[in-house]
Amino acid sequence: MASILASNFDDEESDTEFNPGVPQGSDDGGSDNEVSNEMDNRAPPANKIKTKTPAELANGSRSKSRSPLAAQLDEDEDENGEDQDNGEDDEGEGEDLGDDDEEDEEEDDEDDEDAVTGRPRKRRRRLNQFIEEEAEVDEDDDDIEAEDDDIAETGFIQDTHPDDDLGPEADQDDRGHRELDRQRQMEASMDAELAAQRLKERYGRRTTQGLSQSTLVPQNLLMPSVDDPGIWNVKCRPGKEKDVLAHLMRKIQDRINARRPLKICSAFERGGGSMAGFIFVEAKRKADVDEALQGIEHVFKSNYELVPVKEMPDLLRVTKSKPLKIGGHARVKRGLYAGDLGVIEDVVDNGLDVVLRLLPRLTYGLDEDDSKPPVAAEKRKRAAFAPPPTPLNRPPPRLFNENEAKKKHGRFLQANRGLSSRSWTYKNETFEDGFLIKSFRKTQLETENVNAKLEEIMRLTKTEADGSEAVDLEAIVKEINEGTAEGTYVPGDEIEVFQGEQKGIVGRVEGVSGGILRIKVSEGELAGQVVDQPVKGVRKRFREGDHVKVVGTSKYNGEVGMVIRIKDDKITVLTDTSMQEITVFSKDLREAAEAGGSDIKQNMLDVQDLVQINQTECGIVIKADREAVRVLDENSSIITRLPSQLQKLEVRRNAVATDRNGAEIRVGDTIRESGGENKSGKILHINRGHVFVHDRSRLENSGLWTTRCMNVVTVASKANVNAGPDLTKLNPALRGQNGASAMGPPAPLRVGRDRLTGQHVHIRKGMYKGHKGLVKDTTDTTARIELQSKNKVINVPKHDLAVLDQNTGKPIEYAQFASSRGGPFPIRSSVGGSGRPDGFAGGRTPAVADGGRTPAWGGSSSRTPAWSSGDSGKTPAWKPNSGSQTSYGGAGGMTSYGGAGNYGTSGSRTPAWSSSSKTPFGAGDGYGSGGSGYDAFAAGSRTPYGAGASSRTPAWGGMNGGATAQTPAARAFDAPTPAVSAPTPGGFGDNDGYTPYGASAPTPGAGFGAADAPTPGFAKGANKEELKYNRLNAPTPGATTAATPYAGGYDAPTPAAGAPRYADDDDDE
Amino acid sequence: MFFLRYLEREISIHPSFFGANIQDVLKQQLYADMEGSCNGEYYIVCIMDIYNISAGKVVPGTGSAFFTILYRAILWKPFKGEAIDCVVDSCKPQGVFCYAGPLSVFVSKMHLPHGYKYNPDATPVNYSGPDGDTIERGTAVRVQILGLRSDVTNLFAIGKMSAGWFGIAPV
Repeated sequence: MASILASNFDDEESDTEFNPGVPQGSDDGGSDNEVSNEMDNRAPPANKIKTKTPAELANGSRSKSRSPLAAQLDEDEDENGEDQDNGEDDEGEGEDLGDDDEEDEEEDDEDDEDAVTGRPRKRRRRLNQFIEEEAEVDEDDDDIEAEDDDIAETGFIQDTHPDDDLGPEADQDDRGHRELDRQRQMEASMDAELAAQRLKERYGRRTTQGLSQSTLVPQNLLMPSVDDPGIWNVKCRPGKEKDVLAHLMRKIQDRINARRPLKICSAFERGGGSMAGFIFVEAKRKADVDEALQGIEHVFKSNYELVPVKEMPDLLRVTKSKPLKIGGHARVKRGLYAGDLGVIEDVVDNGLDVVLRLLPRLTYGLDEDDSKPPVAAEKRKRAAFAPPPTPLNRPPPRLFNENEAKKKHGRFLQANRGLSSRSWTYKNETFEDGFLIKSFRKTQLETENVNAKLEEIMRLTKTEADGSEAVDLEAIVKEINEGTAEGTYVPGDEIEVFQGEQKGIVGRVEGVSGGILRIKVSEGELAGQVVDQPVKGVRKRFREGDHVKVVGTSKYNGEVGMVIRIKDDKITVLTDTSMQEITVFSKDLREAAEAGGSDIKQNMLDVQDLVQINQTECGIVIKADREAVRVLDENSSIITRLPSQLQKLEVRRNAVATDRNGAEIRVGDTIRESGGENKSGKILHINRGHVFVHDRSRLENSGLWTTRCMNVVTVASKANVNAGPDLTKLNPALRGQNGASAMGPPAPLRVGRDRLTGQHVHIRKGMYKGHKGLVKDTTDTTARIELQSKNKVINVPKHDLAVLDQNTGKPIEYAQFASSRGGPFPIRSSVGGSGRPDGFAGGRTPAVADGGRTPAWGGSSSRTPAWSSGDSGKTPAWKPNSGSQTSYGGAGGMTSYGGAGNYGTSGSRTPAWSSSSKTPFGAGDGYGSGGSGYDAFAAGSRTPYGAGASSRTPAWGGMNGGATAQTPAARAFDAPTPAVSAPTPGGFGDNDGYTPYGASAPTPGAGFGAADAPTPGFAKGANKEELKYNRLNAPTPGATTAATPYAGGYDAPTPAAGAPRYADDDDDE
Repeated sequence: MFFLRYLEREISIHPSFFGANIQDVLKQQLYADMEGSCNGEYYIVCIMDIYNISAGKVVPGTGSAFFTILYRAILWKPFKGEAIDCVVDSCKPQGVFCYAGPLSVFVSKMHLPHGYKYNPDATPVNYSGPDGDTIERGTAVRVQILGLRSDVTNLFAIGKMSAGWFGIAPV
């Protein structure tokens, strides 16, 4: 607290009280004690002051003789008189004159004091002649004179004394001297207690008035009351408080002896913080304050308020600022070194200046522009064009390197001799042992809660000549503990007390408030109790193996790991992600709730991210800190960048490259380096011919490495793994049979031209929904479509299409279209109006019928003829339809194909034909008469083939349903894997089909053994009416063909497959 | 430590497996899924037997069926403080990685037996002790588990060999 002592508490009293109650003797260079006392009552009565020079006032000493200025004046006055060296000839008139006023006044004052000193007035006249001679006086007289006044007075006069030579005048002087000496002697001889008593007697009055320091007075009586002077708070410019006070102080001094001295009692300020921008003035009346502040700069006098009496004591509460310790740490608040930690090297006596040891941030002129003439550079600097260094663009902290400095700034560099050879001065700053030694104002420093990090401290540690580093870890720990903010403890933390009364207890934090922890003790005698403990002296407790997370200010903030070793406060942690051992303070740790990797997310970059380093280079992040990111670039070198300098690249999941052998590699594949270290790992990224690979078993670079694609060989590719259960492997039902065949036919192999090509289609989905177009070309999944409405060709997924029937214009779903294998279509079309007849083709059956079934069919005789009409044989009958069949016939299996091809209807059948077994089929035709369904049936039946059976079923369905059914039928046939494809019709159809089959190959079987009839019969029995039909058909063939087909049972499928077309054909109609 | 424990598992089966041997399918599936797996707490070493398979329930919409299987299995759950025998897998400057069955154990350099030094130039890289013993890939060691970390499907441990009776295991 800076306060001005304003001495006049009471106007009334001031005259008496402050009058210079100083004995004469003391005027002559009185003892130190007296002088200092005088200083205390520095306010002399006003009337007196006017005669004194300001200089005297300033000195606070009344003795003009002691005032050099006064002495000088005296001398001037003496000019005329004889000048004697020591001024012992003091009787100069001028002097007398000059002194008169003064002395008169003094005499007045002294009247009071005469009792004490009791000296004749006359002697006093000489007072000012003694001044210069004190020393001499001192030499001679010692204890002799100490006795008493009289002796002194008489004895000395007689004594021979060097001064005696001086003559009569000197005599008087001598007396004066002795007087002085005697006084001094007395004072010196008085023991301290006495002196104190005397002083008290003399000045006691003042101190007893309510301001007594007596310890007897209870504190509450010292509290201010309404009778005491008030305190006004006055606003001023923040930061200028002290200036204002200094100004005020001067003003008071100036006016202290004026007619109207300032009537304020005190003024003070309370430093920065919440009280910044205020000064406080104590005075009786507001007007006094006004007057005092009149004309003082930086004061806003507009409004000031009286501080309530209650709050006055608070204003003066002393908060002790912690003394700065040498060796402690402080942080610089502003400027180039803002935020940097420094070690306190020295604290200048006034406590305001602190010398810090810092890591210098220097450029050594490397950032200067060489091309500019130095003068310009100077100018620029002076003109402050150069932007002030900010924490962003300042050079990094490094030890001072004189060699660097010599390169460009040799002229600024100079070695300091003497202390050590490692001290340099560079650009007016001192560097020792590589550290910058710089003085700061205390206000520029952050000294509380410095939060020094271990790394920073280590960097600031001097390396001794022998290479050892003198770190006082104890001191650091202590400092850190003292600075521990309570925020580092949260309820639930397990802590132990290592200091103080409760030392040794272990417990969990229950609550924190105001630096006090409430701890529930978990071990020992106090277990279960709750004790309070200051944050200081407490540390968190961990055990080896604990899973912890680094929080707080450590640079490892966010890391998660397991505790490996504990030494007091320092805990070594093995990080989960990088398997590195880091050492941190326990206060920076917290138990990790979650398992798993570090959650450093501050900069959005994470380990394993692919980042763009510059225009041409990419890299992968191997370590992401808050300030710096370490990146492994394409050349396998490691660079460190600010997060802001990197741009994260999106992962391209579908990136593909080829390895050394030309095999495809993708993200996620496991590869091995060919040659080199034979590193292996999983591909994380593929970018421009480089793969970035992660190998868990490697420690360096977080297990990441990179190489060119051409240097790796794929080990395991996941590219072909597709989702969904692998039925071939798992389904035991399928496993028994031999692979593919068991699975049914492979996905229909497209041979030749896609049937879709050239079709008119309707787009059902997407942007072009509703458009119609012509298919120009196709791939497996898409079709290029020439739109009708626009002159444009677009790609559309095939499944978004509906094929327009060429004849009816009816849209047919692509799926349907495709699965129908063209059968339905073509047929329809070909059949045109005479679908039935076609079905009739059943006629073929007859053909088949050779066997005579036809006849058997008798009923169906017509067909034969029908056919025959076409030709002699059924075949011929067919032929007419399409010559192609034959050719196809060869293909046999192609069914699908055939279908496609012929639309012509018959193409497909041909194959069927080709196989003798189908013939039976023909029989079906007979049925055909019944309806389109028949055919289908027939077909199905031929397939006789058990499997076929199932498929047929659908066919039946078809029959029943009439036209609709065909499709299924078709499918059934197509997809031998009845199970799979069949689903739709599935349900009952399957069952029916199967049963017979499974059982004893019913239909066929029956057909077989029995006449044609049986089958039907059987069928009838087995199924519902609708089915009958089918059954009937089926049997027939069975019967006809005789075993063959049947036997074929399994083999038959093909034919069956072929058959479907037929079915389709018919159904369509 | 090993345990025999009753466990249960739900398995869903694709309809194509529905059949007479569905039980076999379920069993196979169970063995394939569970044996050798780790749930972050323990490893299932072996399934002893299956003592109940519930009736299957078809999941609407998918056609697959859910079965709850009750079975008994032998588990291995490592504990903090437990002593286990391991085989050294690799020696790194930071310490030694070893395996106890499926469990990877890291022993920090500072937790190796007293006096062991890292020899990066030796082949294979090893830590050698004052009495000429070396810890290298393949060495059998006895380790005390200091801590365990569990991921979703795995466990990871750190251990130490610095106490008495730990270190290179007697042959």
